[in-house]
Amino acid sequence: MNAPLRLPSPRGTFRVWQRNMTIFRKYWVSIMFPNFIEPIFYLAALGLGLGAFIQEGGINGGTYVQYIAPGLLASNAMFAASFESTFNTFVKLKIDRIYDAIISTPVNAEDVVAGEYLWAGTRAALYGTGFLAVLAVLGFTLSPEAPLVSSFWALLIPPMLLLIGVMFSVMGTLFTSLIQRIDLYAYYFTLVVTPLFLFSGIFFPVDDFPAPVPQIAWFTPLYHAVNVCRELATGPSPAVLADIAWIVTFTLLLAMLPIHFMRRRLIS
Amino acid sequence: MYPFPAIPAASRGPGSAGGRKAYFGEERLSTETERERGARTRESTLVARDLRKSYGDFQAVKGVDFEVYRGECFGFLGPNGAGKTSTMKMIYGAAIPTGGELTVAGLDVTRHERDVKRRIGVVPQENNLDDDLEVKENLLVYGRYFDLPKKVILRRAEELLDFVELMDKANAEVEQLSGGMKRRLLIARALINDPEIVVLDEPTTGLDPQARHLVWERLRELANEGKTLILTTHYMEEAARLCDRLVIMEGGRIVTEGSPKRLIEEHVSPQVLEFRGRDGSLGKLHEVVEMEADAVERSGDSLLVYASDADALLEKVRRSGVEVENTVYRQAGLEDVFLRLTGRSLTD
Repeated sequence: MNAPLRLPSPRGTFRVWQRNMTIFRKYWVSIMFPNFIEPIFYLAALGLGLGAFIQEGGINGGTYVQYIAPGLLASNAMFAASFESTFNTFVKLKIDRIYDAIISTPVNAEDVVAGEYLWAGTRAALYGTGFLAVLAVLGFTLSPEAPLVSSFWALLIPPMLLLIGVMFSVMGTLFTSLIQRIDLYAYYFTLVVTPLFLFSGIFFPVDDFPAPVPQIAWFTPLYHAVNVCRELATGPSPAVLADIAWIVTFTLLLAMLPIHFMRRRLIS
Repeated sequence: MYPFPAIPAASRGPGSAGGRKAYFGEERLSTETERERGARTRESTLVARDLRKSYGDFQAVKGVDFEVYRGECFGFLGPNGAGKTSTMKMIYGAAIPTGGELTVAGLDVTRHERDVKRRIGVVPQENNLDDDLEVKENLLVYGRYFDLPKKVILRRAEELLDFVELMDKANAEVEQLSGGMKRRLLIARALINDPEIVVLDEPTTGLDPQARHLVWERLRELANEGKTLILTTHYMEEAARLCDRLVIMEGGRIVTEGSPKRLIEEHVSPQVLEFRGRDGSLGKLHEVVEMEADAVERSGDSLLVYASDADALLEKVRRSGVEVENTVYRQAGLEDVFLRLTGRSLTD
């Protein structure tokens, strides 16, 4: 009945992104602050605590904390974009009815969804940049001989986090577009986000496992995001291009689905 | 395209109603108002032909035809579930018609979704203000959705806050506003793009009488400024006060159409006697008045008797000796039209 494929307009997409940015700018200090503390906890508990039990030179010839730090950048982006596209989007959709108000203007439902993708990506990049700064500074201060970020390619990490954020926003929005009750997010976080966090090569290399573990990992999004961050933090090999291509393809293939479902929810 | 009119500085001074600045500061070149012109030329700004809307098996709107003339206030009156809100939603693009045609400002709503939305202002039934933004920010951010230049948005936001008397709340949080203030802010928000048509879905439902009067006052002012207003209501009084013409809807259909005055003249006798009493006595009373009355309706615990000569009828009731608890005599109104046409009371 509706037009089958509704491509978002760049203008409308920008307006929705701009709305979120306006609010973020009012509260950014309080929003961002926990984000600077979080990496310190992770590195203390896993890097120094757990890492003390792991022999030096255990993983790729570096310390354990060097191994996990870039992967945490990727998972940080995943969490940022996932919260944005699940709880935050749900509140705007069903509780505050923000989208109902927006779509009675020249901004259409498809623009709303695309704007939220872009915003979740932006938020992931902003969070990740803070995280990255903490890692870089902390790494050099604590052990200059084994820094956590050791390549200038790391400057490309923030734009990559934007892309990674958009990818996880598409996934989260897809789930949001299908559920009626907010408590159902427990399923998404327990069955999707947490396993990705644990089994995507952040804490141990999955590539060394026997088949089909590496093959399964290849089909999951965070695995590639972790690869990209780790490569850029330490100096990339050409293989990183394959991971980026995977992320772009997966995002593009999935992006129209939540747009379709959200449109059906917003317009009867 | 409807241009963003430049408001001449000279016309923004005092001198308009109550010393407030006029919101629409354009100088009128002719003495004829938009409303008079619309009525004279019968220039339609919104046309519905056999408009239908179904949700699954449920038919919310079952083929309605209506036309709204430029500059008039047009009302949809009816109980909940009559199809008013569905009709409104089709106008502003929140629902897609299942069948029939709907053109707004000469544009088909399904083919020119964005352009239609650019030309109308929407006051929804439920508050959907942006709670994360302050009062004035709500207007500024909303104006951006229409791609208006920043300067225009800023100026209009000021004028509109003044218009709805929320100037002193400009930097308040939305949550701190009362129900009436929120509704006024919704009205201001709907005007940020200087729309040709303003669509209001139950603009005063849930407001206390004072807040309601303030909203009515503002809406009348908008109508006088030449805006086309389309509103739904289930308050007869509201329809009678605001609407130039209205339709009464029930069960997804339009039951009748006309000006409030004409509807009353056409469908009911000028005078009404309302008798309140116990079941048994009302039955007896019904028999007594049946011959003389033009019509008799039973509504809950009261009997409504329509007559041209109420005095004679009242005298007859007195002489009959039937026990009546309470008698009210009044002029017939829209509520009576509704009751006559649908055989049911509008309270739900």
